[in-house]
Amino acid sequence: MSAIALPLLRQAALICAIVIAVFFLIRVVPGDVVDVLALEGDLAEAEVAQIRAELGLDRPAHEQFLRWLARASQGDLGLSLRFERPVVDMIGFAVPATLSLAAQSLAIGLALGVALATLSAIWPRSPFAWLVEAVNVWSIAIPTFCVGLAAILVFSIWLGWMPVLGNTLVPAIVIGIDVAGQIVKPLHEELKETATAPFVRAARGRGESRAQIVFARLLPNAAPVAIALSGLILTGLIGGTLTMEVLFGLPGLGTLALQAIQGRDYPVVQAVILLFAVSIVTVNTATDLCQRLIDPRLRR
Amino acid sequence: MHDQFGRRGFLGGALVLAAAGLLDHVPGLAPRAAHAQTRARTLKIALLGLDTSDPHRHTGSIAVQQVYVEGLTSIADDGKAIPYLAESWTVSPDGKRYVFRVRAGVKFHNGREMTAADVLANAQRVRDLRRGWLAAPMQLVSSMEAPDARTFVMEMKEPYGPLLNILSELWIIAPESPGWSATVQTPIGTGPFAFGQWVPNEKLTSPAHREYWQPGLPKVASVEFNLRDTVDYSLALRAGDMHVARVPADQMAALKADPNIQIQYMKDTSWIFWSFNNRRPRAPFDNVKVREAIAHAIDKAALLKVWAGDAGVPTNQMAAPGNFFWDEALHKADRHAKPDRAKALAMLQAEGVVPARTPLRIVSWQNDYSQACAQTMRELGFQVEHLALDDVGAQRRLGQLDWDLAPFGSGPRADIFLRYVRLMSDGPNTGLWGSPQDPAFDEMVKNAVAAVDLDRRRAHYLDAWRHAMDRYWTVVIGHSAEAIANRRDVTGWSPGFTWGASRVDGGAGHASLVRAS
Repeated sequence: MSAIALPLLRQAALICAIVIAVFFLIRVVPGDVVDVLALEGDLAEAEVAQIRAELGLDRPAHEQFLRWLARASQGDLGLSLRFERPVVDMIGFAVPATLSLAAQSLAIGLALGVALATLSAIWPRSPFAWLVEAVNVWSIAIPTFCVGLAAILVFSIWLGWMPVLGNTLVPAIVIGIDVAGQIVKPLHEELKETATAPFVRAARGRGESRAQIVFARLLPNAAPVAIALSGLILTGLIGGTLTMEVLFGLPGLGTLALQAIQGRDYPVVQAVILLFAVSIVTVNTATDLCQRLIDPRLRR
Repeated sequence: MHDQFGRRGFLGGALVLAAAGLLDHVPGLAPRAAHAQTRARTLKIALLGLDTSDPHRHTGSIAVQQVYVEGLTSIADDGKAIPYLAESWTVSPDGKRYVFRVRAGVKFHNGREMTAADVLANAQRVRDLRRGWLAAPMQLVSSMEAPDARTFVMEMKEPYGPLLNILSELWIIAPESPGWSATVQTPIGTGPFAFGQWVPNEKLTSPAHREYWQPGLPKVASVEFNLRDTVDYSLALRAGDMHVARVPADQMAALKADPNIQIQYMKDTSWIFWSFNNRRPRAPFDNVKVREAIAHAIDKAALLKVWAGDAGVPTNQMAAPGNFFWDEALHKADRHAKPDRAKALAMLQAEGVVPARTPLRIVSWQNDYSQACAQTMRELGFQVEHLALDDVGAQRRLGQLDWDLAPFGSGPRADIFLRYVRLMSDGPNTGLWGSPQDPAFDEMVKNAVAAVDLDRRRAHYLDAWRHAMDRYWTVVIGHSAEAIANRRDVTGWSPGFTWGASRVDGGAGHASLVRAS
């Protein structure tokens, strides 16, 4: 019980710390949503003061926090200060785009990474081994926004094959290759190490085929490593899709958060950060459970 | 058994999730075909954002809501008010009584015919909201009435020259629009397109108004505004994802080189200027001679090149050359048309200013233009503290009035008064001009506003401008027209006087797509 409860408590405390920090940090940034309204709508000084009072932004920050906390604890994330729309609706619109991009990227990355690592483990002196290195170096050396821009230039503008705005395939491939680069090397090392393990040598001695050894012996033993890496990468992806969302005009959480920060729309910023924090805790917990499900040693 | 199911379920779920996402992209499948069909009939535009669904709560740089709401007047390309929902009007000789003949046969998006009573209800709502451009003129209204279904009368306490132009931004919506008593959530207007679906910061999709009062309009099935300010629209235009979009100067070369793209310019200009802190000036910048010295160091042509590329026109007035309120003699007498650094330094020395020992705080946006301005001041030798902030941060800092110099720009407006009012003591958003507080200037602008005769109004405005120039409140660098790019398969589109995406004689309602892009 404590093996699960204690980490969860720690994660919950972390979420609280993040939410509190973000609440006060966003208010340190110069300007608030009333400045945005004044800028966009050319308000006079008296109007600015009146709106600031109406929105409660003239109250002390701790008072604003307690008011927000009281509502959030009842599931009410409030209205966007800028657009007067429910924050929940705005997040509900943005979540599918981010989830879809993250899931596709992870799927492509896992498929590519596992395939390359496996093939190079089966044929260690083949071009697959070189590809493992290449994909790994690619992900370290080339930022995804550079690849994304190049992809737009080639596929959307020169070849005219795909739209720029709303395109999820190209960003998913770009991020997918990046993900593959992050997992392929450790996975390859794990597979190489497992390939020399006594139980694998015994299997070879029993005359098991190469395919049997790979799929029944090597891959199941490497799965916990892949899942642990995937968990780490997925948490990174939740925020890491931002660049691609902006580049390809995808209406995801990253774009929402960025625009809310630019517009000093505090309730939206707080809600998105809360969602990010909860997501990361959930992914970490799910990763842990998956590892337990796959690796019997962890359940003992 | 349980373990085996869980593992397979996990792997299977992952595969289904990935497949569901990837199948969307397989060419030839239904979603893609549907996408292509929609693109052929939907005009896709990116100009400015949309802050509120309530048309009465926002004035200023508005680009989107004109497609679903209209005013009594519209602004023609030459800046004059022309009939829109009012088919005609008369103004009494004393300039106080306006009688509008409301257009017959105009239907709201809910099918009900608009009457003068609707106009009256909207004017009363705007008066009571007391916000934005219309707040000041509506306080000058002594009475309003709708004696019959097609007549709307406004009686002013005193003459108010800009009224007809400013009424182009008093949007008429049906009083039965949801949220009328507080914040209108779904405005029911009369424009060529209905409000449709709004996703803040994302997009507005507006379907065509089938009973629109102008025959044959609109020419496309819907219009979709992209409201994001984080997207590079030049790429989307070149790829054919967007039909019409504003373009920054640094993207102009690439777009001009593309044979599928046409560049057009808005009819009114943005003006670019350096303002001093006029409400709480620090020494030595409270000395008008020091301000003049700094003005001598300004290289207007170079700064305009940085701001607007080849589209900049140097001048010394808030109206651009060619505008009725611009004065050629004043322009020719510009003592700062060319930079004279030696004179600037000599004047500073004469005033006992040693730049190397003088701190100068500059507040600006984060752009190349403000960097060039700061560099000009560094070259004069000042101890420059340059606070380059994002839009909102700069707005806040300007309001604090703890700076010395602010290089900024401001966009097109429906009437010249909306530029002058920004320098008035109780004007809106005066920070960009250092918030001068000068009753004499206020009086001159009020005289201009009250002048019924247009030539007299112009003379009063120019008096006010000379007053501001003599005090070096702000130094105008010049003007540039905002560039709007459209793909060549869009016909009938042209930018108007202001940002508005639709007007009586042009814009989205008049645009059509000649082929599927």
